Formats: sequence, structure tokens, C-alpha cells
Amino acid sequence: MSDITQSPVDSSVIELSDSAGIELSGVTKRFLTPSGSIYTAISDVNLVVRPGQFCAIVGPTGCGKSTTLTLVAGLDRASAGSVKVGGHEVSGITRSTGFMFQADALLPWKTVLGNVMLGPAFRGVSKQDAKATAMEWLRVVGLVGFENHHPHQLSGGMRKRVSLAAALINEPSILLMDEPFGALDVQTKAFMSDELLALWERTKPSVIFVTHDLEEAIALADKVVVMTAAPGTVKAVYDIDLPRPRGAVQEVRFHPRFLELHQQVWAALREEVQAAYERTAEPPPSTELAGRSRSTSAITPTRGDLQ
Amino acid sequence: MTRGGDNRKLAALAAVRSEIEPAMAGAQAAPPGLITVGPETGIAARARRRRIWMYTARVATLVVVIGGWQLFTKLKIVDPFFYGQPSGIVLKFRDWAEHGTAFGSIWTEIWVTMREALLGFAFGVTGGIIFGVLLGQVRFLADVLGPYIKALNALPRIVLGSIFIVALGLGTASKVVLAAVLVFFVVFFNAFQGVREVDRNLIANVRVLGASRFQVIRHVVLPSALTWIIASLHVAFGFAIIGAIVGEVLGAQHGLGLVIFNAQGNFDANGIFAAMVIIAVIALTAEWLIGRLERRLLRWRPPAITDVPGI
Repeated sequence: MSDITQSPVDSSVIELSDSAGIELSGVTKRFLTPSGSIYTAISDVNLVVRPGQFCAIVGPTGCGKSTTLTLVAGLDRASAGSVKVGGHEVSGITRSTGFMFQADALLPWKTVLGNVMLGPAFRGVSKQDAKATAMEWLRVVGLVGFENHHPHQLSGGMRKRVSLAAALINEPSILLMDEPFGALDVQTKAFMSDELLALWERTKPSVIFVTHDLEEAIALADKVVVMTAAPGTVKAVYDIDLPRPRGAVQEVRFHPRFLELHQQVWAALREEVQAAYERTAEPPPSTELAGRSRSTSAITPTRGDLQ
Repeated sequence: MTRGGDNRKLAALAAVRSEIEPAMAGAQAAPPGLITVGPETGIAARARRRRIWMYTARVATLVVVIGGWQLFTKLKIVDPFFYGQPSGIVLKFRDWAEHGTAFGSIWTEIWVTMREALLGFAFGVTGGIIFGVLLGQVRFLADVLGPYIKALNALPRIVLGSIFIVALGLGTASKVVLAAVLVFFVVFFNAFQGVREVDRNLIANVRVLGASRFQVIRHVVLPSALTWIIASLHVAFGFAIIGAIVGEVLGAQHGLGLVIFNAQGNFDANGIFAAMVIIAVIALTAEWLIGRLERRLLRWRPPAITDVPGI
């Protein structure tokens, strides 16, 4: 318990070696729809995130990006295939995971401090220690003075910073982010991305960052995974060899290498976005299944696997 | 872009900043939830005037209704024998205070009814919350019991009062059970719905943070359902009083219901109205207390932009 009271900066050295790799092989997830038919959200997904690697997943809407995250977090079970974190098959909630949701997942009836304290409190840390750690993290994300505010009293960007502190307070070895900054305005988003990178570089957890913003993905990640239109599977993987630390994300955007990578990834992504768009734009097919199988066949066979 | 355009942009930026910065500084300095208002503004004065008018109109409404009632019965346009008379009701109160009712002191009668209503309320609310949360959490149980609960709810449960009187006698128990049954369903359906409406994201979030099933209920499900549960308490207390009074009318040795029933038998309209006034005072007091509880427990909610008092 003693390291809990220390500042998160000091313990970063210990955590570095703890960051766990993530390995998905042949993962398929099917859901039973309310109408009784079976919907395949993702099919045969293969993906490896090395310990400490920052991996972004991009893909058209509804391609199962979020589903992939819930499987890694252990919130849901894969229908087929194996999901491993730190070399262990995921069963139950994955330990040492931070999760940031697209929507606000802060408890509205708790104060900022109460929300950030949840992580240590659930691990049985004493209230006093949990409070001290939470205050430390509020200082890190620049929210000192707001600890007794309720979430509705904060701006969207501030709420995201609280979520970030709450997700990172347990010093997770993997960090899963589901379009965390999707609802923010462009300026706040850029600012939050910088902040996220700075925090990530301290403890280097393995990250899966789901987004539909390609620029954001390339600016942040070591590796960008493009997923196909539903049922989602890995279409291509791109290593982002931009130097680290990246600095401000707004500036890295003008790096020649950034533009080059952007062009490459966008070429792959565009087909999928188009396929997903056409499916919703076309007149509805006679049955749900027919519509799905047609779009599946439209997927180009350039499917890349693994890292 | 021309120079003039640039200048305009800069000026606009400066204007925005000068607006934002004091606001930010204010947000940092002011204690949470407090907005300091300088010298009284026109808005505040107008709001106060509006409030004064509202209270005046409220009192005037009461005077017109009671005064009209008194006047019409005095002029014999309406027969006070059937419809009572405000002055007669006041006399009735004095009579009860001085000589008591036919069954004992008026305070005893009030206490008997209140005890029945409060006990029924307590049991009904507790049961409603427990079963609501349980069925809201355990889908299988909800699917199995759902149709039966709906069927029970569809019954006119007042009729159960007769069963309870037969089974449990003329004492307190039968009224408490009737009140509890009436309260139970109101609270149960709200608690159940409240639990069902809990944001899945919130639950997923605390589960990832390591919450046990019990901790999920304690930190997420219950606080989230509380909005629904408390909303139901207002209606539920009304049902508790209905249960107690109806139970007493069906068969009792004490209580306001019995006083009303007796007044009805004696064609004593003023007695019925007087008992009604007492019940109204009890109900309004309870309503006020529940309102305070609501504000206290739901302090975290964002304040409504226009705080219109509910009716």
C-alpha cells in the first residue's frame, strides 16, 4: 500500500515493466438481436499490442471497434477466438485496466474527488490514502480547487480530465479508450490529446485507442489498425514511425512523414467508410442477412494481420 | 486576408478573452455552487415583485373559496346540512378539542391513523425498494415473476382490505398491511424502472475499476434509482393514508376513518369535512418532509434553469 501514497510520477519506474501486452487471435463476437437474428459485430480479429505500445483503431462507424475494447476489458466474452492480456486468457474483468468511455462515465452524484477516489476505494485502499492519491492525480490533470464540484458543474473538457484521472489512478497496465475525446470541440480535443500523451509517456501502459478521427490516431499512436465495415475485422496495420516524444499534436500534423502516412492509411480507410456509407444510403435489402453478406464480399482482400 | 480583417479578428479575440478570463477567475475563486451577485439588479426586483403577487393571489383564492362557501350556505343557496359550512367545521374542531370524539380524544384518533399510515409506508417502501432492486438486477427473476406482479397490480387492491380485516382483526395490523400493500406497488415499479434505467456505461466503468457486485449496487444502482424512488414517495404517502383510512372505514375501533364513517352515519357533513382537513394537514406535512428529503438526497443534481415549484 505504501506506493499508493507516493506521487504517480515516482512510481512510474516500477509500473513501466508491469505494462502488459494484449493479444487477440481469431476473435469473433456475435450478438443476438432483439428480432432473434444473429449479428456478427467482429469476425476473426487478430491484433497484437506490445507492452507499452500505443495502438489506435480506426474504422467506419459500427465496425465493432467498441466491441473489441469490451472484450479486452473483460466486460464481455468473445464468441470464438482468444483474448489475452499479459499472457493470460481474459476471464472476468481484466485486472489493472483503465477504461475511458465515449460518453461521460462519471458518477453524477459524486464529487470530482469522489469519482477519482473510486479506483483505489474498490481495491480496498483506506479512505484517507485513496483521498491523498486522488488529490495527487487532480493536481496532475490540473483540477485542484475543483475537487468538491459535481460533474455537471464542469465543462466537457474538465470532465474528460476527471475521467482521465479516474482511469489512470490505479496505474493500469493497459488503457482502453473508446473515442474518449469524440464529443469535445477541436481545440479542447487537441489540448486533451497533448495531455494524454504526456501522461502516457510517464507510465507507458499499453493503449488501445478507438477513434474515427484518422489525424488523431496518427498523431497519437505507434500503430494504426484499420478495421473493415461490419462485421469488423483487421484490414491493415500501419506502423507510425514519427519520432517520440511527439510534442503538440497540432504541430505534428504538418510533419511531411505525417502527411505521407495519412495518405496511406486514408486510402485503406476510405473504401471501408464508403462501404459502410453505401449500406446505410442504399434502399434497405430484403433481409438483414442478405445485406450483410453482400457488404462482406465487398471487402478488399488486403487484410493485414498482426503487427 | 487583409490587414483590416486581421485587426478585426484580433479585436474579437481580445474581447472574447476579456469575457472569459474574469469568468474563469470567478469560477476559481468562488466556492462551488455560489454565484455572487452585486447590487440588486432589475431581474431580482422583478422576481421579488412577482413572488409577492403570487402569495397575494394565493391567499385571495383561499378567501374567495372559503368565503364563498360560507356565504352561499349562509344565504341557503346551498344547503349547509348536506354540504357543511366553514364556521360549522371550526365549531366541530372546538367540540372535538373540548369533548373529544365518540371514540375518545381526537388526538388519539389522529395518532392511531398516523401510526397505521407511517408503519404501512415504512414496510411498503422497504419492501418495494428491496424487490424493485432485486428484480431489476436479476433478469431471470423479473421474467418469471413479471406477469404475476402485473396481475396483482391490476387488481383493485382496496378490496384486499376486507380480507385483511377478516384475517387480522379490527386492530392496527390490518390497516398497516393494507397501507403497505398499496405503497409497495408504487415504490416497487419505480425502483424496478429506476434500476433498469441505470446507465450501462456507469456500471461498466466501475466494474473495470474493480467494483464488486455489491459495490456496483451501492455506488451506482441505488443512487441512480433514488431519483425514481423518491419521486414515488410523494404518491406513496398518499396511498399509505388511503390504506389506513379505508381500512378504518371497513372496520376499526379507533382512527380518523372511523370518525368519518361515524359522521357519515349521523349525516354530519361538518364532521366529515373537519376530519378531511386534519388528513390534509398530515398529508401536506408529510409532503413537505419528503420534499426536504428529496432536496437533501438529490443535491448533486444540476439545478433547473427555471425553478418552477411543482404542484
